Amino acid sequence: MLRITGGKVYDPLHGIDGQIRDICIHDGKVVDSVDGGRTIDASGMVVFPGGVDVHTHVAGGSINFARAMTPEDHRRTVAFIRSQTTRSGLGGMAPTTFATGYLYAGMGWTTVNEAAVPILSAKHTHEELRDVPIVDKSCCVLMANNEILLDLLEQGEMERARHLVAWQIWAAKAYGVKAVNPGGVAAWKWGNDAKQMAETVPGYTSLTPAKIVTGLAQIIDELGLPHPIHLHCNNLGAPGNISTTLETMKSLDGRRAHMAHLQYHSYGGDDWSTMRSEAPAMAEYFNQQKNLTCDAGAVLFGDTVTITADGPWQHLLYKLTGRKWGNLDVENETGCGIVPYTYRPSNLVNAVQWAVGLELLLLIDDPWRIFLTTDHPNGACFWRYPEIIQLLMCRDFRQECVTQLSEKARERVHLPDIDREYSRFEIAIITSAGPAKALGMPNKGHLGAGADADVVVYDEDEDIARMFGHPRYVIKGGEIVIEEGDIRATPEGREFLVQPSFDREIEDFLRPLFEETYTMSFENYPVEMHRIERPEISECIDVST
Amino acid sequence: MSLNIVNNATCTFCGCVCDDIELHADEERIIEAKKACVLGKAWFLNHTAERLYPEALIDGKEATVDEAVEFAAELLDAATTPLVYGMSNITCEAQREAVGLAERLGGVVDSHTSL
Amino acid sequence: MVLVDIRETKSVKASDIFLQIRPGKDFEVITILRALVKEQPVDESQVQETGLTLEQLQDFVDRMKKAKFGVFFFGMGLSMTRGKHMNSAALLTLAAELNAFTKFVAMPMRGHGNVTGADVIMRWQTGYPFAIQFGRGYPRYNPGEFSTVDLLVRGDVDAALILGADPGATMPQPAIDHLARIPTICLDPKVTHTSRLSRVHITTAATGISAPGTGYRMDEVPLPLRPALKSPYPTDEQVVRRIHEAVLKKPDWLQQGNRMALNQV
Repeated sequence: MLRITGGKVYDPLHGIDGQIRDICIHDGKVVDSVDGGRTIDASGMVVFPGGVDVHTHVAGGSINFARAMTPEDHRRTVAFIRSQTTRSGLGGMAPTTFATGYLYAGMGWTTVNEAAVPILSAKHTHEELRDVPIVDKSCCVLMANNEILLDLLEQGEMERARHLVAWQIWAAKAYGVKAVNPGGVAAWKWGNDAKQMAETVPGYTSLTPAKIVTGLAQIIDELGLPHPIHLHCNNLGAPGNISTTLETMKSLDGRRAHMAHLQYHSYGGDDWSTMRSEAPAMAEYFNQQKNLTCDAGAVLFGDTVTITADGPWQHLLYKLTGRKWGNLDVENETGCGIVPYTYRPSNLVNAVQWAVGLELLLLIDDPWRIFLTTDHPNGACFWRYPEIIQLLMCRDFRQECVTQLSEKARERVHLPDIDREYSRFEIAIITSAGPAKALGMPNKGHLGAGADADVVVYDEDEDIARMFGHPRYVIKGGEIVIEEGDIRATPEGREFLVQPSFDREIEDFLRPLFEETYTMSFENYPVEMHRIERPEISECIDVST
Repeated sequence: MSLNIVNNATCTFCGCVCDDIELHADEERIIEAKKACVLGKAWFLNHTAERLYPEALIDGKEATVDEAVEFAAELLDAATTPLVYGMSNITCEAQREAVGLAERLGGVVDSHTSL
Repeated sequence: MVLVDIRETKSVKASDIFLQIRPGKDFEVITILRALVKEQPVDESQVQETGLTLEQLQDFVDRMKKAKFGVFFFGMGLSMTRGKHMNSAALLTLAAELNAFTKFVAMPMRGHGNVTGADVIMRWQTGYPFAIQFGRGYPRYNPGEFSTVDLLVRGDVDAALILGADPGATMPQPAIDHLARIPTICLDPKVTHTSRLSRVHITTAATGISAPGTGYRMDEVPLPLRPALKSPYPTDEQVVRRIHEAVLKKPDWLQQGNRMALNQV
């Protein structure tokens, strides 16, 4: 039992905006009252629900490839020395699994959604997630380039496609479905890409990216997944790609969708030299589309490593930078590219990217529909979130940063004209309450009775980045895991899954195709339940209402 | 005598790790490894469930696993820089445990990759 | 299929074209291929050194560029001979550069059953794939310094736990001599050369035959192991865990408390 008393509480779901409240915890849950137990005096402190990361890459084949590719970074980064309660690890651009858990919990984030998991290597992802301590986890399975599914979508066999998607979600032990560059990654197996929503995907006769997106979005709604389609649009990173993004949003036709790392999809211009921010146009359109949520995918200047299932884009980035390039092809399902990258304020393109992420966060008016992410590690590492919070809450600091940009860059962006400053209440929405709602996790992101007792207590501090980077206490599932800057406990996190219903006969359809096209046995394909750490199966919902 | 048939068994002899092997086994040996290559067949047919070796040896003398485990822990703990090496022909579950052990010992962990 | 080797192996029968190169000339061959891919002039005398003709090399390049999807499979003949990791790096660069023309990838052929699993797990737990030193309480990596043969030959380790390997039969003699000098513990399904020079041998169940678990294919796809036999011996996993538990009961050599090293050296 635990009582946190005297703190200024920010619980946006319940409209609590800095009022002094007691938070009582019993048996891992927030309760109305407790009798006895420890009391934390949070007078003069700030109380938030634990952070929720809607889109990050922390486990699985691609981030693990990035770890292998960046030993030079491991040597210059923070190292965690083993203790009797903690394992050793390394921070940096692609932190090790144990360090990932400590770093997230260390800044008050208690739930993370691994955004890109191929079914074929889902066992690997789950094994890694077991080694990410403290935080609760979920993952999205990659679908939009699965050749067996694409064939069904092309043939218009939606009923069968729905059973297949449900079967695949359960086979991957996933929580949601991610679509990356629909059709484009499949085309990349032949060195091609799919850039236009209405153009036929190379290798198909009539299938277009638009059909893949709408087909998948429809199926996911019919299945009633708590989290809608998690969509990484075509044409990521390219100048002028706002048209593709808007077209994608229009093709959804009112269906639910979460637009991943919108920053990378909101550019104007015709080429690299004319690239500019189209954040205002994007925000204006997005503000009207109540069916959509998005995450920022914000960029911060500095070193990182980019990893994405978007193989063709990564090849382009390799050609642009001349740096190391790793490519993984995952049979008929997806692929992945890895390129270390440095974002520089002096670089015009990077300057635009930096501004667009912040502009979207500031111009999209409903904080319940845009969430704080950096598409870790693509835009920046997750442990730099406090820097973004400072940029959002402090206009003067932001304007000071704008002065780093070249004059030419400043003409391509809108940040200098934006005066909005986030309140703490709004920060609590974009870091916790909003993403929890978008993920469909009713026990996360708030501090009402029945919520999981994931609570962060910050010291009030004028230095916003320091305040949000160094919580005084972090409570996970009712247990104090961080106290005075020390890791006190490293409980295992849970993993959220969904089990949408499907007709068993779908296996009769899938098995012969699988045996013809895959290199492993069908029976060895699905992830066994025993690999999931503390599984928790979430109910599907009725989306039609 | 009834044979135990295992479908979709995985061969860990080489890095290809084929997982479509059909094994036919009696109590003590695998008598058939269908779909396995020459190397795989030799691998499966060369191991048995018989008790061909002592469960443990200490300084060449037979010992129990309990004694051997205790003595191994003593030797490793007493060392300044113990080495944990090999890792390539054991399961992932054993590998994870071995990395944790090397970390606790403050030693080195290495695999065949370094050769 | 194009086979490149220094001698005519059994695989020649399975290949369409066999390119026999001179021993130790891998780097030169790959570098010439890279030049030809980019249509750069190459020196005839350098071509001669490789044991191949310019026509053969040019034909190879043309075929690679025309392929829809090409793969280089490379093994220890490339990575363990003169040039070592430089050879592998050159081949990876060639594969990357070929993507300007067509789809091309490269994949190492792994000799041992689950060496990929070892790489993958060490990477996610420590950031590094092998040769990892925990002497400061956090992982450090330096092949050549922390790699096994180097450690043994220099006498830099004072105990060894050998898992699923028989270095007593395969390593250079000075390394074997050191293993025999220090207390060595060996876990293996059989009593091996290494067992005979060890102070402790524990017999374990055979991976995938009588021990269940997971193994990684060389393309990093994990697969479940389905044992057909019931072993009278414990698994490696069980024995390593028991040794670990026994070590945990002893006083910890590291001081208490969470610490971070902000500046690694």
